[in-house]
Amino acid sequence: MNDEATPDDILAAEYALGLLEGEQLLAARGREASDPGFAAEVAQWQARLAPLLDTIDPQTPREEVWQQIERELGQSGDAAEIISLSTRLRRWKIAAGAAAAAAVAAISVIVLSPSQVPPPAGQQAPLAASIPIGDTQLRLAVTYLPDRRELLVSASGLAADGVHDHELWLVPQTEGTPLLSLGVIAPGEERRLQLDEVVAQEFADGSALLLTREPLGGKPADAEAGPVVAEGRMQII
Amino acid sequence: MTPASKEARDRLKAAMRRLATGERAALEEIYRATSAKLFGICLRILKDEKEAEDALQDVYINLWRRADRYDPERASPISWLATFARNRAVDRLRVGKVRKGSVGEEQAAPLADTAPLADSMMIDAEREARVHVCLEKLDENPREAIRTAFFEGRTYAEIAEDEGVPLGTMKSWVRRGLQKLKTCMERGE
Repeated sequence: MNDEATPDDILAAEYALGLLEGEQLLAARGREASDPGFAAEVAQWQARLAPLLDTIDPQTPREEVWQQIERELGQSGDAAEIISLSTRLRRWKIAAGAAAAAAVAAISVIVLSPSQVPPPAGQQAPLAASIPIGDTQLRLAVTYLPDRRELLVSASGLAADGVHDHELWLVPQTEGTPLLSLGVIAPGEERRLQLDEVVAQEFADGSALLLTREPLGGKPADAEAGPVVAEGRMQII
Repeated sequence: MTPASKEARDRLKAAMRRLATGERAALEEIYRATSAKLFGICLRILKDEKEAEDALQDVYINLWRRADRYDPERASPISWLATFARNRAVDRLRVGKVRKGSVGEEQAAPLADTAPLADSMMIDAEREARVHVCLEKLDENPREAIRTAFFEGRTYAEIAEDEGVPLGTMKSWVRRGLQKLKTCMERGE
């Protein structure tokens, strides 16, 4: 049977079961993140299969497991701000219209009213994110040095497939601002970017990053962004 | 096994809602009600008590951090949590964190205490029968492959290798099986 011809409902079942690996798994994850119809198929298959889990005998975990969870959550100082993250992510439609696309392309000319600009105070500690790539053990390492307004993007270990590029996006802190492109990933390389101040201001502890799959060269100005294949969050290091 | 009482399920649903507003106490309530079921699932897939404990921890920490992913209108909370736990456990298999074959299923299972509260069993009886009936109607090859994928978290390539059949053959068995399974399930949906 030809892989290309797999109907969506069966692909959704294969993905829900965990039969896929490699590029196919990555592609299905991307579809799930970007295509609500496909995501609904996956959810439906998960619901269909879930009663099978009732045949597994429950096992009481050791009390230490709960204590460890409490310790972990206590240390990282989690708060409602993180809980709201995925709600915000959903609200951020990746720039579709020409105006939004132009705004993304011309990052340096985005105009923010002064009241919207978050104060830079307290954000001088370096931020870092480690973004897992699909089911591989590879990670995209992103580090931001606020005092130098420099972004380091390390894609060592990643290889180009010759068909796609991957583009990195920052979900801005300022509501109503389109996603900001941080450029196309250079597989196997470590890149150092000098950020425009307007982009730099949008970096904060907890800022979300998205990785989308695009045609070679990155998202065309007149097209919607490709599927989200990975995501991560900047944290103070 | 006992079906979940409606009361237990409503209580869990309410706790999930409180969790989404950032209430930490709700997490412990959810943990007490569901951790035995979820730990059983992690243990079944990972076959290693330490790995299953790590996976379980990961499940509840992620639940707390991304509590708004659960939509109470769309799924029963326990089914959703069980699926979430299974998927996290399978993810762990995929990233190769598990020491493969370190402990057999028979050895791993009795390590933990198997006497959870009736509440924590939380079974969705009304939907239980259908998928079982439909799976039983499949031919043996696709049925066993689908069960192995689901319960052992194994990929096409791994199942094909175990069975000693070409990958293409395994894929067509499973795809035909899934198509039949879907048709059968839809008659009951």
